[in-house]
Amino acid sequence: MILLEPHNYIIQTTLIDKLAKPTSLDVQFVDFDGVRFHLSTPERKTSLLLSMSIRCWNELVQYGVHDVLKREYGAMVRAQPESDYNVSLDVDLEQFPPEGEERDTFIKNIALLKRHALAAPFELAFKAQKQLESSGSGQGEIMAMHYRDEEAIYIQASPDRVTVIFSTVFREETDRIFGKVFLQEFVDARRLPTIQSAPQVLYTTHEPPLEIRHVPGLVDSDDVGYVTFVLFPRHFAQAAVAASTISHIQLFRDYLHYHIKCSKAYMHSRMRFRVSEFQKVLNRAKTEVAVVDRKTASGRSMR
Amino acid sequence: MSNTLRPYLAAVRSTLTAALTLEDFASQIVERHNKPEVEVGTSKEVLLNPLMISRNENEKVLIEPSINSIRLSIKIKQADEIERILCHKFTRFMMQRAENFVVLRRKPVKGYDISFLITNNHTNTMLKHKIVDFIIQFMEEVDKEISEMKLSLNARARVVAESYLLAFSS
Amino acid sequence: MDAFRKIDIDQYEEDVLLEEELYDADPRDPATVLTDTKSKVGAVRGSLSKGDIAGALNLVLDSPPYGPNVEEAKNLNLQTLVSILNSTKSTEIPAIVRALSPDAQDTLMKYLYKGMALPGWGDVSGSILLTWHEKLTEVAGTGCIVRVMTDRRTV
Repeated sequence: MILLEPHNYIIQTTLIDKLAKPTSLDVQFVDFDGVRFHLSTPERKTSLLLSMSIRCWNELVQYGVHDVLKREYGAMVRAQPESDYNVSLDVDLEQFPPEGEERDTFIKNIALLKRHALAAPFELAFKAQKQLESSGSGQGEIMAMHYRDEEAIYIQASPDRVTVIFSTVFREETDRIFGKVFLQEFVDARRLPTIQSAPQVLYTTHEPPLEIRHVPGLVDSDDVGYVTFVLFPRHFAQAAVAASTISHIQLFRDYLHYHIKCSKAYMHSRMRFRVSEFQKVLNRAKTEVAVVDRKTASGRSMR
Repeated sequence: MSNTLRPYLAAVRSTLTAALTLEDFASQIVERHNKPEVEVGTSKEVLLNPLMISRNENEKVLIEPSINSIRLSIKIKQADEIERILCHKFTRFMMQRAENFVVLRRKPVKGYDISFLITNNHTNTMLKHKIVDFIIQFMEEVDKEISEMKLSLNARARVVAESYLLAFSS
Repeated sequence: MDAFRKIDIDQYEEDVLLEEELYDADPRDPATVLTDTKSKVGAVRGSLSKGDIAGALNLVLDSPPYGPNVEEAKNLNLQTLVSILNSTKSTEIPAIVRALSPDAQDTLMKYLYKGMALPGWGDVSGSILLTWHEKLTEVAGTGCIVRVMTDRRTV
């Protein structure tokens, strides 16, 4: 599996299970970026409550997350979310569409809760770009989402493009160096003719890019990397393309770190193998201590 | 094998073979101590001239012989940041398993990446030429391993980047 | 800890072994050694220009400077030797090495190790020294290396 999936697998499989056989349920689980979910049946076995807590909810509210969720889930969104959580959905198993493709899409859509919440600022930026394009000048405001403690996504619309900047922290030196290799490949990969239409990628370490340099609270250290994606109208002009672009770009940080961890794990398994090979070579050097069975004069073995 | 690697390894092999003439030797300073003299370093007369074999500044081997032990330190080639971190990880990985590698020192000598300490006990229980073989094979393969790891890292990074960006075009 | 506990009392022992006692010092005084070495440089250049590498090597390896206080002469001699080594074709090395006396072989080995301990110094080249080392070991054996390790008269 190279690419990560935007939907939450646990929500998807749990819903499918419960549809087949409703039981009472109370589970908490997590997704990327410290997002927490709570799936429970507070009243009836067929009426599920799905709640989500996301770190940058207050920022998302500013960028119209309520509208997006209302559009996607309609009346399912509870006016008053469960305490400790930012948003709650009432999922009534009896109201699901009949079995078939329609039901699968419905389930998948619920599993995409996190993706839809994070999509709000992106949709806003795409709209802002259209307005700026018709007016021909100006810059959209910089929208910041602090989706992790030390990391953030910045989105800014311009008349001809939308710029998405990720700040990411590499906790360890190994991560930092591996991250550099990966990011360099992201920059270089666009030279391939098949990928020419992909967004332009730029990256800098420890110095923030020009667009967000005036934003307060940016850390200037060796561990921080800034990745800039430049999205052109071709990436979001059509609704379907825009949707896939949003799902895809949201996961960039997780994708990058996931593969850094994978590389580390692979290196580790390689080293384990190589070291055991060395061990075998060294063991060959050990002499076999010949066990000679010494006998006493009467023929009994010496002990 | 490249042109200079073979004489380099040959030089290490012959020097190591020459140095591995060890005998039991109790400390002259402290009673009932029998320690590797090369580590203790208190009696000048039992320490021999340290020898260095180098291919260039970045690849060298220091052999410090003494009467009952020798210390062999290797500096592994590190062309860039990636090789440096991989080399560091690899040697650390090995040194954490030093009790399995009886001849391995837990810490490298300053200025080197990995050190071996071979004492007369080791030469008594192990075949000398096989210990030499082990060191040589280690030197041969550690370079290879590090460059292979680097290649695989780059290859993975490329695939990862391409498949991510390709998804935008579809 | 009190400072006096850290004093190395062994150094005040009467029969403590000193560095000088490990080997016989060079009878010549440092100034003479230096002039001797300098005069050899000219002679070596002469032999080299005639293509007489074996002769040049014998000159350099004869009574080399050793011991303390003669760093300058040591470096000069190494430099001279390295220039000889660098100007030798690798195919000629075995014959030249074989023609050397055992003592000269040992001294040559000492210089090879000294050269390798100083990578990047002057025009020392690792690959050339390694080639010489390999050929010399083939001829003189590991005994030669052992003598380098044990001989306290470091060059």
